[in-house]
Amino acid sequence: MGLDNWLPEGALTTRVDELVKWGRKNSMWPMPFGVACCAIEMIATLSSRYDLARFGAEAIRFSPRQADLMIVSGRISIKMMPVLTKIWEQMPEPKWCISMGACASCGGIFDTYALVQGVDNFIPVDVYVPGCPPRPESLIDALMKVQEMVEKERGFGGAPIVADRV
Amino acid sequence: MSLDLSQTSIDLVKSRFADEFLGEYAHAGQRWAEVKRGRIIEILRALRDEVGFNMLMDITAVDWLNMGKPERFSVVYTLTQIPSGDSFRIKAWVPEEDPTIDTAIPVWLAADWGEREIFDMYGLRFNGHPNLKRILLPESYPGFPLRKDYPVTGRGERYDFPKHTR
Repeated sequence: MGLDNWLPEGALTTRVDELVKWGRKNSMWPMPFGVACCAIEMIATLSSRYDLARFGAEAIRFSPRQADLMIVSGRISIKMMPVLTKIWEQMPEPKWCISMGACASCGGIFDTYALVQGVDNFIPVDVYVPGCPPRPESLIDALMKVQEMVEKERGFGGAPIVADRV
Repeated sequence: MSLDLSQTSIDLVKSRFADEFLGEYAHAGQRWAEVKRGRIIEILRALRDEVGFNMLMDITAVDWLNMGKPERFSVVYTLTQIPSGDSFRIKAWVPEEDPTIDTAIPVWLAADWGEREIFDMYGLRFNGHPNLKRILLPESYPGFPLRKDYPVTGRGERYDFPKHTR
């Protein structure tokens, strides 16, 4: 309170971690791990009509070193799984993961020898988006839930949240 | 129109390769001949050069486990003639005790990857193939999934990855 007297107009006071979390959640740079049909919907979400960039996901860098959110969109085969693990390991902390679509969340309709039945068996997923493929609005909702998670938590963790039906 | 080359092909196989010929069949307007695997390359070469098929449309295999067929596996060659579009199928029986057959690469280069796929999924080896290794599944995959005695959901290969947690 006393500090306000000394600050010029237009300056705010806050805690450092609130500031950091505000910065993180409003600049989630996705690492789009698009491998199949869900990737089309993810691309649609990133394009102008649904515009994920207005949530700060402006920089879609396909380099994991520069990303903090991995969107696994599509079915992951057993040949692709080591690649997914390597990309996940290359992403620096803090990082979050959205499992987009039925196949990434649980294997989808493909209960076969060649597909991983849900990437959450091997990497920690924060938000699952149901759908085959999910609507862009569902993916935007998932991103907003990740933003809520970033805001509320101290560090990482938090239970996975299922994105609501649009 | 498409029946003409079928009749020519069947007549050729019956007359020139009578020892190998096992039968001619038809279903839904499409005809095929079944032969033993011994001289399949000569048969394919004769069909290409004398009957006039200029494209190996497809090469695949079937596992007839426990269905009362002469052998366990059959390799199916579908030949077509461009531009008329006439096609003909020839099927060669491969026994389970010796699951090998000669490669069709000397006759049709297109058989290369098709035979790799048959090896990948059924385990049939092609004598003389220059590069007989898996094409769809990971190199280290232990089984042959499209055989009828292999479970659809696999034997645990899809769970065999390291797990990352937060």
